[in-house]
Formats: sequence, C-alpha cells, structure tokens
Amino acid sequence: MESLRTIARRVRDRGGLESRIEELEAEVQECRQLNLRLAELTDVVMELLVPLADRDEARVAELLQHYRDSVNDPPVPGPR
Amino acid sequence: MLRSARVTDGGIFVRTEQDRAVDILFDGRRIGSFWLQRDTRAAGEERKYPWPDALRRFLDGVTTLSLVDHVSEEELFSAEVHLGTGEERIRIEDAQGNPLGLDKSLRLMRLFESRSAEHVKPLLDSMEAVLAALEKAGVEPFIAYGTLLGAVRDGALIGHDSDADLGYVSAHDHPVDVMLESFRLQRALVEQGFAVTRYSGIAFKVLVEESDGTRRGLDVFGGFLRDGMLYLMGEVGHPFEAEWVRPRSRTTLEGRTFPAPAVPEHLLEAMYGPTWRVPDPAYKFETPQSTVRRLNGWFRGTRVGQEHVWGKFYGPGPQEGPQGPSSFVRWVRAREPEMRTAVDVGCGYGRDVMWLARQGVEAWGLDFIARAFKRSAKRAERQGLPASFMWANLTELRSVMVTGALLARQPGPRVVLARHVADATDAAGRAHLLRLARMVAGRSGRLYLQVQTARTPGEGERGVKVLDVDALLAQVADLGGRVLERHDLADYEGDDAPDSSSAPTICRLVITWNP
Repeated sequence: MESLRTIARRVRDRGGLESRIEELEAEVQECRQLNLRLAELTDVVMELLVPLADRDEARVAELLQHYRDSVNDPPVPGPR
Repeated sequence: MLRSARVTDGGIFVRTEQDRAVDILFDGRRIGSFWLQRDTRAAGEERKYPWPDALRRFLDGVTTLSLVDHVSEEELFSAEVHLGTGEERIRIEDAQGNPLGLDKSLRLMRLFESRSAEHVKPLLDSMEAVLAALEKAGVEPFIAYGTLLGAVRDGALIGHDSDADLGYVSAHDHPVDVMLESFRLQRALVEQGFAVTRYSGIAFKVLVEESDGTRRGLDVFGGFLRDGMLYLMGEVGHPFEAEWVRPRSRTTLEGRTFPAPAVPEHLLEAMYGPTWRVPDPAYKFETPQSTVRRLNGWFRGTRVGQEHVWGKFYGPGPQEGPQGPSSFVRWVRAREPEMRTAVDVGCGYGRDVMWLARQGVEAWGLDFIARAFKRSAKRAERQGLPASFMWANLTELRSVMVTGALLARQPGPRVVLARHVADATDAAGRAHLLRLARMVAGRSGRLYLQVQTARTPGEGERGVKVLDVDALLAQVADLGGRVLERHDLADYEGDDAPDSSSAPTICRLVITWNP
C-alpha cells in the first residue's frame, strides 16, 4: 500500500509534468518562430546587403526602392 | 426532422434532435446555412441560432423565411416573418443592389450562386492569369480548397463560395527555403505587374483588376512535403505521398480546364476530411491543434491582428481624418528646431506629417493601413509639400529593414516620432520599432515616444494597450539607447495638451542612440 504521502507526491509530480509540457510546447514554438526570422534575414542579406556593398549611389537607391516594392502592400486604389 | 421552428429578432429557434446542414432562405433566396446542433445553443426546450452579426443591420422588415435541408432540399419550415419595425421586404444586397449571402466564415459576400456566367468569366480569366504567372515564376500551381472541391465534385464553382483559391507544393522541404521561395515568387509577380499582399511567410493574395473595374484577390497558399507529411497553408497538415502531388493532373471547372494535384481526391480529403463529397455550406475547418501550432510557429506572425483593429477603425477606402497637429508633435517640434527629416511611425491620417511638412521639415509618414494616409499624400503632392507616405509593417522584419535603410539616407538630423505605436503593436513589433528608430535616427537624431501607461475612458477603442514602461526601457537599453527625458502625464482626450496635475495615464520619452 502506498502511503498517502507518496500518492500526494505523485499527484503533485503529475501537475509538475503538465506544466513542464506546457513550457516545452512554448519553447518548441519559440524555436519554430526562428524559421520566419531566418528566412526574412536571409532574404535581406541576399537581396539588399550584398548588392548594397557596391556603393553606387543611384543603383543603391534604385535597389532599395525595388526591394521595398516587392515587400509592400500594393497602393490603395480608388478615388483620389 | 424539425419538430418546431420560430423566428424572432434574436434568431431562429428550432426543436430537433438531428444535426443537419440547413439553408436559410429569404423570399426564396439562400442567405446562409447552419447546422441544427453544432451552430445552435440550448434555449429552454429549443435550440437557438442567433443572427450572425453581419446580417443584423438588414433584419428590419418582412420576408418569407424558409429552412431547407441542404442535402435533400426538403423544405422544413416556411413562414412570413416580421423583423424589427420595418414594413418593406428585407433585401440583403450591397449598395449596387447585388444580392449578398453569408459565406462559411459568416461574412456577407457576393456568392457564386448569385452570379451569372458573364460574372464568372472574369474570375476564371484572373485565375488563369495568376496560375500562368506562378508557373512562369517557377512553381507548379493548382486550384485548391473550395475551388478544387467544386471542380472535382461538380465541375463548377460552389454556389455558397465567394472566392477562388490557388496553391502549390514547393520542391523544398525546409520551412526557411519554402519562405525564401515565396518571397521570390512575390518579387516575380510584382515584376510581372501584379499587386500582391503578403499574409504570412508562405501565403499571399494576388490582386487582379477585372474588366469591370472591380479588384479581386486570389489567395495563393504555399505548401511543402516533409517527413511524409504535407503542410499546406492555411489548414493542412496530413500524411501525404509525393506521387499524389506530381505530376499534376487537369480538372474541369465551369467548362475550362485547370491544373490540379496528381490525385486531387487525396488533397480534398486532407482539406475537408473523408466526407468531402457531401456538400456542407457551413463547413468549419477542424484543423488539429498540432497543425495550427506548426503553421503558426513556422509561418505566421507578420500580420498579428492589427488589421482587424485598425482596418475597422479607418473604415473602407481613403479616409478624411482630423486636421491640425497633435499636442505630441508640437511638443517634439519645440525640442527639435534643427531637424531636417522627421519620420512619423504609425502616422495614421498623416496630420502630424502634414504639419511638419508645412514648416519645411522633410516629413515621412509610415503606416500599416495605407488608405488612412492616402488623402494626405494626395494633398501633399498637390500642394508641393515635402511630405511622403509609405506603407510599412513593424511585424515584418523585411519591411522594417528596407524602410530603415531608405530613410537612413535622408538628410540629418533625423527625428523619429511614434505616438501610441509601441503600445499598439506586439513585443516583436516594439523591438522592430526601436530597431527602425535606431537605423533612421542614427547618432545625431532622437526618438520621441508617447505610450499609454494607465487606463483612461475610451482606452482600448483604437487597439492601444496599457504598456509596461519599465519593460520598454529595458528593450531600449538592450539596443544601446539612452533615455534623455521622461514625462508621465495625464492626457484624457489624447489630443488636448497633457495635464500634469491628475494621475498620469501617458508617458512621453525622448531617446538617443548616442552613447
């Protein structure tokens, strides 16, 4: 026969396990979220940082505008 | 099937034990559908289906309301019904008199069942155009979701649907590569002349102008295969074989052929479950939590509910907002007589940008809701004012980086203003706001913030939350910023000159990035 104390500890531990799982789920989710950041960062480096290093003023301005156009929401249509 | 039914201003009350999809007809025209048990709640002996919010404003008048079993088409109930105080027949129509109906998300839309063949043609043309553009950009697109379902089931668009969906399965199997590909696709489509709005790391909407001038959005959902699973934005995470995707097949829709996955039935089962062949106008996705978590974690977070709040706040179309400067911008101006460039992040209607521009400052307004500043932008152009407006998204790193890089090249000193922005975005948005400010202001300029620090009457209306200033200051310090001034003030109306006598509700901060 388990003593009441042992049973109580097991119940407590099970509670601990649940909160540990919740924590782990949150941590897994944090790791997943790095995918989007990494993709965005890689895109910025490939499309902007490397070409910007050529330091040709006109080309740099054009490049920035071009990249922005491809990220932006489109202009609002309609009157005025 | 129905033991009784009655209709009131509150909703439809039924007595039944069955759970079936039932169509609601007003004067013989289908308005929406619901499931007798799933979409109702117990009300005494009866089950109540409350009127959907989108419908309420129309429910004033008289109609013959019928309830019809969606699958067997048996009429279960029909009666002349008076709702509200009106005497006219109830007409559920848009401003142009086009009939509207509820889609499965309970939005009132122009549904396909109310459209004639000539109305459907422009949609099919748009689908072909976008499919061709995606193909040219290097993926193998197909029709997806409800569009694929209608094609495979009936060779036709589903009557109770209102839009068309496209999808593709990437050749990559890592979420990062799939997103990079999606960014490239967006660039390719923009270069081909399409207007594109991104919704997540792998889904976007392509806006197509149709011959009658209406602008239609076609959703393009990216997907990929990994470890025997297909993940397709925005609802699918299902065991899947590569042979079910490629080589693509063709399917017929409204008399034209469109690309489909190799075995479309498998994709339909992954999307709608094993009962996909039975029509369900009130279908609700029951996406497993594990799939929602995966798709959220990998791909979502760049549009975090702000559109829901601010899109509503600014209403549809270009808006006329309040004129004249806020007390905040006057306060900033008094401290920055030498500033050459000002960047108002979260500029809204652009009133502060216009005021600064009239004083000769090169003023830039950034906002996530572009229609808010559209009128100010036009006015600035007409009047030759040095005011410019740009769309920017604080929760999208790429938008922040390129905007920062562009503005950092403007003449200095550059000052950044953000009135109730840090308290309207999420933690990632706040970090990006500070990064943007640091990129733009550099060492010579400063960042001016106004945030909500305690509740005031009316607070919450505009999606502004009470902010923990200490946490914000820690974020500032992490990025190498230093607080030059801090003022805790009472500010009841938001625009009146702050009052320092009552309990503080807002905080103003001046931050430098110069150590």
